[in-house]
Order: sequence, then C-alpha cells, then structure tokens
Amino acid sequence: MLYLFLDIITTAAILFIVSSGLLIIFGVMKIINFAHGVFLTIGGYSSLVVTHFDWNPWFSMPLAFVVGCLLGSVIERTVLRFLYHRPLDAILATWGLGIVLGQLIIIGFGREVQFAAGPVSGAMELFGDFYSKYRLLLIIFSVLVAGAMWLLLKGTRIGLQTRAVIMNEPLARGLGINSSRVRLITFSFGAGLACLAGAFITPLSSVDPNMGLPWLVSAFMLVLVSGNSFLALASACIVLGGAQVLASTYISPVIGGLTLAVLAALLLRIRPKGFAYD
Amino acid sequence: MTRLVTGADANHTYLGLPLHVRFKAVSILTGLALLVVLIGPFVLDPYTQSVLIRAFLLAITALTVDLLWGTTGILTFAQGAFFGIGAYAAGLMFTHVGYTVGTMMLALLAAIAVSMLVAAFVGWLAFWQGATPLYVAVVTLVLPIVVVQLIYSGGAFTGSSSGLVGFDAPSLSMSGWFWFTGTIMVLLTACAWVFIRSDYGRKLNAVRDNETRSRYLGIPTSNVKIILMMFMAALASLAGFIYACVGTIVAPEHADFVFGTELVIYVALGGRGTVLGPVIGTIGLEWASAYVSSILPFVWTIIIGAIFVVVIVVLPEGLLPPIWRALARRLPARLANTAKSKRATVFHPLVEIGAKSSTTSLTQPALSLTSVTKRYGHLQVLNGIDIQIMPGELVGIVGPNGAGKTTLMRCISDGMERSGGTIKVNGKSIDHKSPEGITALGLGRSFQNTSLFGSLRVSECLRLARYPHYKPSKIDTADRVGLPLAAMEVLESTGLQAQLQEQVNNLPHGMKRALELIMVLSLEPSVLLLDEPTAGLTKADRLMIGRILTDLQTRLGLAIVLIEHDFDFVKQVCSRLVVLHRGELILDGPVQEVVNSDLVQEIYSGHVE
Repeated sequence: MLYLFLDIITTAAILFIVSSGLLIIFGVMKIINFAHGVFLTIGGYSSLVVTHFDWNPWFSMPLAFVVGCLLGSVIERTVLRFLYHRPLDAILATWGLGIVLGQLIIIGFGREVQFAAGPVSGAMELFGDFYSKYRLLLIIFSVLVAGAMWLLLKGTRIGLQTRAVIMNEPLARGLGINSSRVRLITFSFGAGLACLAGAFITPLSSVDPNMGLPWLVSAFMLVLVSGNSFLALASACIVLGGAQVLASTYISPVIGGLTLAVLAALLLRIRPKGFAYD
Repeated sequence: MTRLVTGADANHTYLGLPLHVRFKAVSILTGLALLVVLIGPFVLDPYTQSVLIRAFLLAITALTVDLLWGTTGILTFAQGAFFGIGAYAAGLMFTHVGYTVGTMMLALLAAIAVSMLVAAFVGWLAFWQGATPLYVAVVTLVLPIVVVQLIYSGGAFTGSSSGLVGFDAPSLSMSGWFWFTGTIMVLLTACAWVFIRSDYGRKLNAVRDNETRSRYLGIPTSNVKIILMMFMAALASLAGFIYACVGTIVAPEHADFVFGTELVIYVALGGRGTVLGPVIGTIGLEWASAYVSSILPFVWTIIIGAIFVVVIVVLPEGLLPPIWRALARRLPARLANTAKSKRATVFHPLVEIGAKSSTTSLTQPALSLTSVTKRYGHLQVLNGIDIQIMPGELVGIVGPNGAGKTTLMRCISDGMERSGGTIKVNGKSIDHKSPEGITALGLGRSFQNTSLFGSLRVSECLRLARYPHYKPSKIDTADRVGLPLAAMEVLESTGLQAQLQEQVNNLPHGMKRALELIMVLSLEPSVLLLDEPTAGLTKADRLMIGRILTDLQTRLGLAIVLIEHDFDFVKQVCSRLVVLHRGELILDGPVQEVVNSDLVQEIYSGHVE
C-alpha cells in the first residue's frame, strides 16, 4: 500500500518535472513545443557526457540546463519568432527541429542504448519497505522546480512581465513591456527546464536517441489539461499520473501506458478547461 | 416568381475556365499519368518499382491528409493509424484464417468498416462546438498511440513489436502491383483534384477559413468534418490494406504517430491544399530517400528535417505552388491569352432574383425572450431579460459598453450560451441548439467584427450563403447563384456586383461589411441580428444601410434587432428602442420616448446608480 502510494507520488513528481518546461512555453507563447522530446533527450546525453568524462554526476544537471537555454534561445531567434501567429505551424516546425536535432544526436553518439551514472543509487528503508532513493529524491526535485518557478514568476521583474504577457499580451505591450524579450527568455528557460528534466529522469532508465518521445506525448497532454497554471499542472500530474500507476498495477502495463493520454483527451471533451479552475 | 438577370462581368468558376475545359484538362493529365504508369515497369528496374509501389500507396494516404489539413484545416496525425488499421486487417486475416478471395473481401470490408467507425468516434471526440485546432491535433495524436499499444499488447495474435510477416496474400507480379497501385493512385488524385475545386471544396475551405461564420450560415461544420474524416480514414485504410498485400508484412511502425507526422511533412513540403503537391512530393521524396538514404543515411534525414522547417517558416504554401507559378509565367503568351479571353467571354454569370413568399405569421412574435440570464461564475452579465419582437419591427438595443448587448446577441444565436430563460424564434424554442440549428429556424446574424472567408471570392461567399437552399456539387462549380431580392439590391447598390471575382481579403472595409450583410440576407432570415452594422462606415454607406434596413422591415416584414452606438442612426431607422444597463433591461419603448427619457441621458453621462 505504501509502495503504491510512493509510486503515485514519485510518478506525479516525474511528470511534473518533465511537463513544466512545456507548460511555461505554452502559457506565455500559446504554442506547443514539439521539440520538447528531443530537449529531454539532450538532457539525457548531457548526463552521458558527464559520465563519460567521469565528472561528478551532480554536474550533469546544471550542464543540461545551460545547454538547453542556449539551444532554446537560438531556436527562438531563428525559427519560432516567425510563427507566433501560426500555432499549428509552430507545432510542425518544432517537430522538424526535433528530427534534425535527434539525427545529430545519432551521428554524435550512435543509436545504441547507453547508461549514465546517477548521483544517488540504491534503495532506502522506509517504514519497513525498501524504495529507490533516487525516485524519492525526485519528489524533492519537483518541489524545488515548482518553488523556483514560483519565486521567478512572483518575485522578479521578468516574472512580473511574463505574467503580464500570459494574461494579456496586447495590454502588456501597450504598457511598454518588451514581449519579444519575454518570449526569448521564456523559450530558452523552458528549453533549459526540459533538458534539466531529461537529466533528472536519466538515472531511472537508459539513454537512447528516442528516449524523449514517450514523455513528449504525456507532457503534451498534461499541459493541455492544465492551461497555463502550475497548480493545475500539479493536480493533473497527481490525478492522471495516479490513474496511470493504478491502471498499470491492477489492470495491465499496456492499459497503464494509454491511461494518461486517453483520460486527458476525454477530460478535455467533457471539460475544456481541464484542471484549470478560473 | 423568379426572373433571370444576366450580369456582364466576370464569371465565378474557380479557375476561370468553363467546366468542360477543366474536365478536358484533367482527363488529358490523367491519361498522360496513366500512360507513364503503364510504361513504368518496362523501363524501371525492380528495386525502383518496389520503391514506387510503396510511394504510390503513401501518396494516397498523403492525399487524405491534404484534404483534411490543406483543404479543411484539420491538422491530423491520425491518418497513419488508419493506414495501420487497414494493413493489420489484411495481416491478421491472412495469418490466422488464410488467404482466399473470400477472406480478402471480408478483411477489406472489415478494414474499411473499422476505420470509418473509429474515425466517426475520433470525429465526435474532436469536433465539438468550440474545440480548438490544438485539441483536434491532440485527439488525432492519441489515436495512433492507442492503436500501437493495442498492437503491442496483442502478443502472438498481432505479432507485438515485430509485426506479422510471411502470410499468404493475393500475389501479383512486381509490374502487376505497379500498374494496380499506380492506376488507383492516379485516379484518386484526379478525383481529389476535381473535388477540391468543386463547390463542395469551397465549402470545406469556408470551414477552414472561418468556422464560426460557416456555422452562422447554417453549415453543420462538425458533421461535415466528421463525414470527411470517415471517408479519408477509409481511403487511408485501403492504402494500408494494399500495402500489406504487396509486401506481406505489417509492423507497428505502419500505424504509429511518427508515420502520421511523416505524412504531414510530405503534404507540407509538396504544398498543402493543392492535391498535386502532396502526391508529387510524396512520390519524389520516397523515391529520393530510397537512393540517397543508403548513401548518406543520417544526413538525408537532417536535410529533409531542415527543409521542412524552412518551408514551414518561410514558404507555408509548400514547394509546388511557387514552381508552378514560375512555369506558368514561361507559358507562351498566346496560350495564356486564350485562357484569359475565355475567362472573360465564355461565361455570363446569372444571378437569379427570387422574391421570397413570406411564411411568417404576423400574430406571433418573431423573436421572444423570457427571463434570459447569463452568468460567468459569480458575475451576472444578463439578468432576466424579457423582450418580444413582432415581425416588421426594427428594434435597436442600446446601452453603454459592458451593458451586455453583444452577450445578448450571442445568447440568441447560440443555444449553449445562456445560463437560463427561454428564447423562441418564430414560435419555436431554441433549446440548446447549435448556431446552425438556430439559423435553420430563420435567424441571421452579423458580427461586430466583420467575419468572412478571407481566401474565397465574393461570388463563392454568396454561393455559400445560399447553403440552406442548395446542395453544393462535389464535382462541378455552379455558374450562377440565386439571391433573394433584398440581397440582390444591396449587391447592386453597393457596387459589389462588379467585384464578384475579387478575393474577399482584397476588399475595402465598407465592402466587407456590405458583403456580410448580403450573405446574411441570402439566408432569407425572418429575424435579423446585426451587431453594429454601421461601425467604420462612411456617412453615405450608413445612409444606404439605413435605407435597406427600413425597406426590409416595411416591405418584407423582417424582425430586425440591431446593436448600435450611433444615436442619430438609431433615431433614423428604429421603431423601438431597448436599453440595457449592467445586464438589466431598464427601458423598452418607442424611439422618441426612450431617447428623451432622463434615465438614458443619465446612463450615457454616467450618473445612474
């Protein structure tokens, strides 16, 4: 029972970490970044590089974040800023970028499945049960990510400007907010967050060029049911992630794999706002 | 009671070519393409043939993506899944039951039936009122995921991740398959080409350009999309079925979402909405990648991906249209001229003017509102509105900004909008009817911000506005459009009649407003809702609109409701005024009485509590 509970909480934490980068981009720019999956993959390969050079595994996280931010700002300036008025085309263009980046990864690192060292390994005893230490650590990471987002949005000037752009972009521009700069910062931050998430999830599994794809779909669905609210995202992760764990445990892993996407699609059909409450 | 008037200016057909000329062009091109398919096996090596057979089948599937996305605006990733359903229908039947002509027919039937049913369900899920294009993309993304997961979970039955191989299937020689698939591909392409240039194709473009306006013209857009999706699913499934028969192999990759996106990429590169672009693009890219990808395995994918991104960003129309235009410019001048002269002389557009016999009874209200309320959460926007409007009344709704005027219009024209109360149009309750359902009751609505179909021509818009009164042909384009007298008069007096061939985007603002009014009048409504019909118009245009409205009211007995800020205009045309303030109806009476009342003066100067 405790084990199941921990599974639900850690799954929700992982989903939250993986989706938050997509959410911040969707919230501000109203576009879905289909290169999100490949950003996760890049985060995974950042960990691999760190393992390869025998650096401290903790270093993979800042590295992934920085790589993502740089990549994100380049993509925003060269491609995305032409597509703000064509959200469906933005999906396609980011998917095309994902293809290119994914192929570059294959050229650079090969197709095979590889393993990166995690910063923490083994299990710890918890009320008589043993549970993976790293999965428990992910709960803390997700809280840190959420806290950092909250602080950035509520406590900084650029956060205030970002919130203004989320709520009403024409008005924000009228008040002299440089929304183009806000978009640039948002996209590179979102991309950085995505790569960071990739580095976070790498110790749970292996690294391969397609590792981001299944996560992309889950994150995409979660973001659509959350609108632009981090609180809604958190509840969506707990409810839908919980449903996924329960379905995998009690019915079959295959049904579990479908649960999140199918439930999210049905939820949107019944309640277009999803988990958003306003 | 119909008289015919011959207009002297340009015609309405899509290409400006008469029907028989267009069919001749299509027939010649189709014949040439079939000839190429016939010769193919004699000049191509077996490897190229097998590559092209696959390309032909993918081209058919890309064609379905083009009709959905390019023509109708539904970005879909699901066509790959329907292809997979067709392929697995063949694979499962031939593996587990064996191949005979009977089982083949049965499997084909099952493939088409299952994919159409699934498409109907996906359509029901995706195309509800107010679904965003993004949501539609989501649903079409979920379908391939579900299908692939089901294949994985099928174990030995579906062959799981390795698929099914080596089953008995109808066997043809390589050239036989080449001819078979090539012929089907060419014929389907020709049909699709004719189809998207027909009046029905215009209707699909209208749904793509402006779904809301389409609904308020009475087009049931959700049903149109669902039906289109079902037929496109059947076609994709057919292609998948043949694919399984040719290669005697099926695998989860033939159903997954990456395959679905690949099809979208082909369509985008070729040129969405052009039919020929996606087909040529698919065949060309499949053929090229079969050769190049063995020489430059990784780089080829990067090149395709990069070209795709560049095309999406700088050349959204795709590669074929600009190439086509460049070629057309090089056509001998003589040829181009004859095409043009035909355009000017062969056609005499006919505008039918039919006077509508009024069926509305004069004793019951044309529009009746009883305690209509609208809430957004705790915010009460409309509170217990009661209005009765008789035929032949011209009622102005006035009130300061935020009084709830436009909300009221929305509640009248869309049954899902209001939170309480009943609304009757011509004595019939609107219940929770959709806009198109209410349009069928005899209600026509114009919008505060002019709402039209940007990429269509004026004549095409007029034909669409007659939607409830005619069935658009799936092959042909009509050379005439029947307009009711009132619409015809506006058309003549605004001078729009001389611009029937103009694309709507190129019209000046006043003309757009006039066109919207003409379209609404073409519906032959008995109740007309107009949201600021004179906004942004010149004095002369305003006078004209006023004249037309009073004419409609007195001569045809229409009940007209208009929202207006211009008090002079209201005083001039309306017979009765309703004043809204903070969601409440505070005055309802003859124009002079209301305009001169102290209350109205106070509201507009902002002193009322």
